[in-house]
Amino acid sequence: MPGKKRTAFDPVTLEILWQRLLSIVNEADGAVARTAFSSLLRDAHDYTCMFTDRRGRELAQGSFATPGQSGAMALGVKGLVAKLEENAGPGEDGCVDGDVFITNDPWALAGHLNDVCVMSPIFHRGRLVAFTACVFHHSDIGGRVSSDNQDVYEDGLYIPFVKLFDGGVQNEAVMELIRWNVRTPEEVTGDIRSQIAANHVCSEQVCQLLQDYELEDLDGLADEIISRTERSMRDAISKVDDGVYRSEAIIEQPEGKGDIVIRAAVRVHGSDITVDLAGTSDQVDWGGNVVFNFTYAYVFMACKSIFDPDIPNNDGCAAPIHLEAPVGSVVNCRFPAAVAARMQIGHFMTEIVYRALADVLPHRVLASSGGTPATMNVFYGRDSSDGPWHSVLIRGGGMGAAGDRDGETSYIFPANGANTPVEILESDTPLIVETRELLPDTGGPGRFRGGPGRRVVFRVPDDEYAPQPNVKLGIQSGRYRYPPEGLFGGHSGARARFLVNGEPGNPYGLTRLQPGDVITMDAAGGGGYGDPQERDPDSVRRDVAQGYVTLEGARRDYGVVLEPDTLAVDEAATAALRAQPSD
Amino acid sequence: MSKRSFRLGCDIGGTFTDFVLLDDETGELWVNKCLTTPGDPSDAVEQGIGELERQVKRQMDGQVDGQLGGQLGGQLDGFLPDLEEVIHGTTLVINAIIERKGAKTGLITTKGFRDVLELGREIRYAPYDIFAEFPAPLVPRELRREVDERVRSDGSVVRPLDLEEGRAVVRGLVDEGVDSIAVCLLNSFENPDHERALKAIIAEVAPTLSVSISYEVLPQIREYERTSTTVTNAYVKPLTGRYLSKLEQRLQSIGFGGKLFIMLSSGGITSVQTAAEVPVRIIESGPTAAVIAGQYYGKRFNLPEMFCFDMGGTTAKSCLIQGGEAGVVPTFEVGRVQRFMKGSGLAIQVPVVDLMEIGAGGGSLAKVSRLGTLQVGPESGGADPGPVCYGRGGLHPAVTDADLLLGYLDGDYFLGGEMKLDRAAAQRAVQERIADPLGVDLVAAVWGIHDLINETMAAAAKTHIAEKGGNPRLVTVAAFGGAGPVHAYGLARKLGAPRLLVPPNAGVGSAMGFFTAPRAFDLVRSHKVALGAADFERLESIYRDLEDEGRRTLERGGATEEISFARSVDARFVGQGAETNIPLAESDFTTVTPQDVRSRFDAIYERLYGRTYPDAALELVSFRVRASLPEKLLELERIGGRDARGAGPGRNSADAVKGERQAYSGIAGDYVTHTVYDRYRLGSDHTFEGPAIIEERESTVVVGEDASVRVDEFGFLWIDIGRPEVNHAG
Repeated sequence: MPGKKRTAFDPVTLEILWQRLLSIVNEADGAVARTAFSSLLRDAHDYTCMFTDRRGRELAQGSFATPGQSGAMALGVKGLVAKLEENAGPGEDGCVDGDVFITNDPWALAGHLNDVCVMSPIFHRGRLVAFTACVFHHSDIGGRVSSDNQDVYEDGLYIPFVKLFDGGVQNEAVMELIRWNVRTPEEVTGDIRSQIAANHVCSEQVCQLLQDYELEDLDGLADEIISRTERSMRDAISKVDDGVYRSEAIIEQPEGKGDIVIRAAVRVHGSDITVDLAGTSDQVDWGGNVVFNFTYAYVFMACKSIFDPDIPNNDGCAAPIHLEAPVGSVVNCRFPAAVAARMQIGHFMTEIVYRALADVLPHRVLASSGGTPATMNVFYGRDSSDGPWHSVLIRGGGMGAAGDRDGETSYIFPANGANTPVEILESDTPLIVETRELLPDTGGPGRFRGGPGRRVVFRVPDDEYAPQPNVKLGIQSGRYRYPPEGLFGGHSGARARFLVNGEPGNPYGLTRLQPGDVITMDAAGGGGYGDPQERDPDSVRRDVAQGYVTLEGARRDYGVVLEPDTLAVDEAATAALRAQPSD
Repeated sequence: MSKRSFRLGCDIGGTFTDFVLLDDETGELWVNKCLTTPGDPSDAVEQGIGELERQVKRQMDGQVDGQLGGQLGGQLDGFLPDLEEVIHGTTLVINAIIERKGAKTGLITTKGFRDVLELGREIRYAPYDIFAEFPAPLVPRELRREVDERVRSDGSVVRPLDLEEGRAVVRGLVDEGVDSIAVCLLNSFENPDHERALKAIIAEVAPTLSVSISYEVLPQIREYERTSTTVTNAYVKPLTGRYLSKLEQRLQSIGFGGKLFIMLSSGGITSVQTAAEVPVRIIESGPTAAVIAGQYYGKRFNLPEMFCFDMGGTTAKSCLIQGGEAGVVPTFEVGRVQRFMKGSGLAIQVPVVDLMEIGAGGGSLAKVSRLGTLQVGPESGGADPGPVCYGRGGLHPAVTDADLLLGYLDGDYFLGGEMKLDRAAAQRAVQERIADPLGVDLVAAVWGIHDLINETMAAAAKTHIAEKGGNPRLVTVAAFGGAGPVHAYGLARKLGAPRLLVPPNAGVGSAMGFFTAPRAFDLVRSHKVALGAADFERLESIYRDLEDEGRRTLERGGATEEISFARSVDARFVGQGAETNIPLAESDFTTVTPQDVRSRFDAIYERLYGRTYPDAALELVSFRVRASLPEKLLELERIGGRDARGAGPGRNSADAVKGERQAYSGIAGDYVTHTVYDRYRLGSDHTFEGPAIIEERESTVVVGEDASVRVDEFGFLWIDIGRPEVNHAG
């Protein structure tokens, strides 16, 4: 009956409906994997689907979501919905059935122009009941593909919050405008269509759910899910003693610029946690600037992983987690700062929070990781027959060690994504990959060792397969000067390296390559955890056998002496070496 | 007396080894079950066949005594002399992987790429869980060696293989004491010369060593997936070879003179030699049988869309069958280390029936989550201790406990009465561990457990059906497994499916798949080329090579019949990450035009994803051939005759009503009176209305009040839900 509203759900029905909401968003997620064009989406899974209630409060999110998007998007979509409400007349929703909105405003969403959001209202029986949205990392958005851009105008095409469909009718002009401003128009427009398809799947299924359960809207369900989730987060946070826990990080900048300092004061008060970044460096004149939402996303990543990693993401998870970031600082930059390389700084937020809370929660955190920040390479150019080619690659590094285990081998952390297979890259581009291997003695020594760093070597062929000169390479990465640090006496992992034909190159600008050039990129190793002198000698022996640590490394870093031929632990020599006072 | 001809299906599972014997002339079936013998699985096979032999003999003797007066008594030796085929499925291979009991394996890769196996695809499958675990590679780093060779993506050679270096590398691995070597070189799917040269070197240096090269295991693009697959093959190859030859000898020693076939994960059956060569293709050999049975029923009853649903103790496996054909997918994962989570297992890239497996079974445990809501599965109590009602020490209520309390199961007739179920204990457990903490009454808790597991399965099913371009509101749900028929009605309602099919002996009904599986082998080769620039002569030669290999594979297994080939190609929009498979009817690719390929791609793409993009260019990625022999048809036994359970001719359905009992109705929201039927007494064409419960030994069928049941001439139950006027097509 109209007007009838269910406000309370028993815990059994609630769980059934909740599971259904999660399955809806995963169905949309699956539709993307099958219809997306770019390998960055399909192979690297750099996209996030979600939906909110009528007021923009996030209800469910795809389970493979990458944290930078998922944490930022919940805030971002809420903001967009608020914008619609502001512009609506009295009694109106600010949108109608069949509307589809699009924007890549970095300040509204996930912090750079390549992340394009498509958002659609969901109407059921003529009433607005929900919004569905997805953010895809598009392979190109025009502009100058470089982390040393000076403002956002150089970063590429800026799509304000506009209608892509108006009441079901496509706004062809918007698509056309995008098509003419990107290097890979088929891919980008194909992927935008895939976004529309994902939203469509979500809308249909939400309406079906409302019909199956005879619900008028999602309001009551949203209240229940969000409040239970919030309670669970709060329970976990309140177990930590009230106090202010501090940490500080130094992050390198491009050649010739001073270091960036991030200062964090993590205040735990009851069941609330506030990360205050007062004292952090000002915004910079290159692309490393981070918008508030993206900074929040990686603060949220840290808190969620510490306190309640398993609970599905929704508005309730974020409620007790607060961020204070000075306006105009590098972690809350002002328009029109360049933001294309925001992950070079933004990804550090997670380890900064870990480091602040390490003393009170030593078993819930990791040492710093070599995959912080993620490494992104954009290669593009023209092949011998003048055909354009373009490829975006993302990679991680060695994970930081934890209080009970070694760091995992090689992952993007705290972001997430997958590498592109070498065989796919080589069939899509003229490049040859010479090596993709782990490097010895690069994982930070510790009672638990950091994950090893990883080398990738690219060669531009100079034979009949040579592309036309000037293959361009845009890079986002870091850790060239400051390695990932260990925790509780664990040592740092190895630094990252960028070599062009064996000589150090500039990893912050746009690199122009010629046929015959060889690029070496070593990702950093993860930091160790605990004193390496306390590492079980047999674990060191196994590391040497597997080639993660060399014989010299075993002696130098761990005080463990092995027989060179059999790799047996020389107990006496090890005891003697470990007994020597360290400097 | 005409010579009889028998086939035997034998499925070795973790707990039980199942046998189904088929008389090909009459369609008569005999079933047997005995405990698996993990030390030497062929012990159970011999024991089980011996028991079946006695069962058949007793029956024949009875017939002889009664009907023929003993004239032929001396000639009847049971079925073994007339046994033409044994078709075998096994979980041995998958268990060896999960339990890490395979061979000490070495890996040879292209220089610079020994860590491909360890680096994988680098994605963290649980983004917010920083302690999520990943499976350790099957080959440790010190046994991964490199050779300094290189092939480009078009198959041309950058650096030739140095044979001396190859010998040194192989000798190094032999010195380490490996039992098996995997070889996977970059871009070898375009040019296998270097892999083949290494194979020859291994044969020369260590003639008895087991070898797997990626080009022969499956030549497909994507180096991590191909390496992982080749390594997995190498890891299980020695033990599979030993096991299969032992089984063959054992069968021969008890008088079996026919052919032994092995079930493939892709749904075909193959020779022992091929299975021993590529054991990675028989990993899912067990669960595939139910799907093959489903395919057969789909065709036999002409069902356009069927959802095959097999629910056992710990997992539910299901599969959409369209037009009598199940989908085959190119990859899957094995040995997921974290709660069935996608991404936490080893990647295997071989054709496998598109089975969806989730952690939902009769043993799935119900708990109160930290959020104060009900949670059911994926953790399972398994068979031991199992649900609380088994009385074996289980403390947490499981789905089976709820099914008992809802009145669906009869505590005195579980497994035909062999096992008594403890109702009071189940009730206490649900009350104390679920209802009280959640603050709901007992009935809400009990129904919630049943309904939530159905919701979980329905959610997974909807995603699976949508991915295949099917419509859940049109499917016929076919139920298998011990718990399948109990939950199929609730699942069908959640899917909006109009009809439910429950074959006779649903508990072992999946084994019928062994008799209907095609003798077929799937081959594939990657060769990426733009459709516009493709040389169709060259592509035709790829197809011919694949067909030659398929012919050799089938003939090596003793095939003498005519071999048919079905071709297809995987294509995608240029730059797209995923491919779409296009079947090709033509037997000569040079007669196909690029426009033909284009229009077929567009048609399939549009059906799957709603719309296509005619302006976007296409590229061809992989070429596939299925080589198969004519199917052996199977006739179903009519229930008018004597059935496998010994019910006599002329079943009188009036006797079928055993009584009635109170069972929960989701529609009424309360317990209502259900009529209880004895399935073995239900005769052909009998019809009745729900609410009803139909009991057989291994399972129980639940039917709600909005459904009606018809029994067909083969004893299949056809249950129409919510729309009693609709009749089935069979």
